[in-house]
Amino acid sequence: MPSIGIAGAGILGRVLAWRLVQAGFKVSLFDSDSKHGNQGAVWTAAGMLTPHTELEASNAVFELELSALSRWTSLAESLTGLVTLNRGGCLVVAHPQDTASLAQFNQVLQHHAARASAQAEHLDYAALKDLQPELAERFRKALWFPQEQWVNPHEVMHALATKLLEAGVEWHESSPITTLSAYTLQTPHHTYTFDCVVDTRGLGAKEAWQGFRGVRGEVIEVFAPEVELNCLVRLLHPRYALYIVPRPHHHYVIGATQIESEDSSPISVRSALELLSAAYSIHSGFAEARIVALRTNCRPTLPDHAPHLQVERGLLRANGLYRHGILLSPEIAYQLEQQLEYALC
Amino acid sequence: MSTWQLADQTLNSRLLIGTALYPALTTMQDSIVASGAEVVTVSLRRQNTAGQAFWSELKALKRLILPNTAGCYSAKEAITTAHMAREVFGTHWIKLEVIGDDYTLQPDPFGLVEAATALIKEGFEVFPYCTDDLVLCQRLVDAGCRILMPWGAPIGTGKGLINPYALKTLRARFPDLTLIVDAGLGAPSHAAQAMELGFDGVLLNTAIAKAHHPIQMAQGFNYAVQAGRAGFEAGLMPEQDLAQPSTPILGTPFWLGH
Repeated sequence: MPSIGIAGAGILGRVLAWRLVQAGFKVSLFDSDSKHGNQGAVWTAAGMLTPHTELEASNAVFELELSALSRWTSLAESLTGLVTLNRGGCLVVAHPQDTASLAQFNQVLQHHAARASAQAEHLDYAALKDLQPELAERFRKALWFPQEQWVNPHEVMHALATKLLEAGVEWHESSPITTLSAYTLQTPHHTYTFDCVVDTRGLGAKEAWQGFRGVRGEVIEVFAPEVELNCLVRLLHPRYALYIVPRPHHHYVIGATQIESEDSSPISVRSALELLSAAYSIHSGFAEARIVALRTNCRPTLPDHAPHLQVERGLLRANGLYRHGILLSPEIAYQLEQQLEYALC
Repeated sequence: MSTWQLADQTLNSRLLIGTALYPALTTMQDSIVASGAEVVTVSLRRQNTAGQAFWSELKALKRLILPNTAGCYSAKEAITTAHMAREVFGTHWIKLEVIGDDYTLQPDPFGLVEAATALIKEGFEVFPYCTDDLVLCQRLVDAGCRILMPWGAPIGTGKGLINPYALKTLRARFPDLTLIVDAGLGAPSHAAQAMELGFDGVLLNTAIAKAHHPIQMAQGFNYAVQAGRAGFEAGLMPEQDLAQPSTPILGTPFWLGH
């Protein structure tokens, strides 16, 4: 079987490697980080698989996301026992003074006929109380998207590492790529040749992509024993887009800022205040939560905020997964695999 | 359309637009082009900027950059941000925002006058984002402002001109100053209304960036600003309480008259 060298062991690199291993390819994986490192953007991601409520995505990206969501089912099945695909749905809420934001959200939803067909349910107070009693203390109504799902990216990354190592993937850790070209990968000390090279690095591959930039995002993980939420929550606000993602054992990820800056330095005080205030405004139980982690990273972004592929003989590249890296990876990995036939000629 | 003077620059377009909240960078670029705007305002406070891709893409559009101090809550913060902006963008223009209320983003008039006074002494061309209060505007003029940017309504509300009377008063009291309605506009007709009042320009962001089709909305505002200005320059007819026939009624049989 042909040999494939993948540069980048982030979410896309690992998902692709896993696809190719299952298809019988001989796969080598390269990353500047160690096998158990956590430098990539994926480690900051909240893991939302929510095409129906990501209204900023263009229609083309929305279609990709829908397809990606169905691919997640089989990906999660292939990682059974190691990864939980949470199908808990997503509630969209706004405080009384921001109901105009809820109306605008609804209006955008209705405007895109394809998205409206997802049929958000309008929950009144009784229905909301029935679904998430603790949210009914602060909110009188909500929009409900039962189709939305999520995963824990850390769990996914560890599971993929386990599976890939079991399958005998050659994993070159702490091996930054110095040069990458068709059929060839170079690290500081070696040159490797393959039947095809695939570059799945995000920020690390910026020189290969015109107009590439990193968009800063910050998230906070808390341990909140007083909070009992088992679905995703999006809080609408005129200026911020905030969400809460449940993790097991009363952990919650609160995100995310979106700042035009290629800056991965620690979270700012303002961002921390905004995220934590928002969480507290959703549920007073967050007041006594413990802050477990403050994370910052940059989303790999192309000018149209959509993912793109570059295809040539012996070399494939993908980048620009932006806010949707976890969701889109199985779809982009599928598309890369489709292009292999040409690239391997 | 005739040209006009904004500070030391001669411009064609009277529309100034913001660069936040767009769904994608390319949408922002195409919207700026469609709007015809020659001045774009950018925020500096939360973004480490110089030399980064976002800014090089923005610079590639070759528009005049009006840095703003959005997100500053005191005169001191705004002054520091203005200094940074001068260094990063090489311009002495600054859209001065000193926010007094976190939720409505209503300007703090006291901090605004304090910051404007200091920055003008340092040679900045200050574009103060202010309320439509006549006395505040007078204080800003006393501080040396040659441009005033009163709000139409609070930022992002899309309510249009909530107090046309106050805006008319400003135009009447400061006939020679450059007056730009900044913030609160939701529809192209709001921009046209501001221009019909004799304002020199309008500045907006959300109404375009958050439209279903931002590029088309940018074009809509482009037309509206031109239409409103043409209306102002041409001289609007005064409103009448009674219908005035536009064809002579001489010869109409008396029994059809009143």
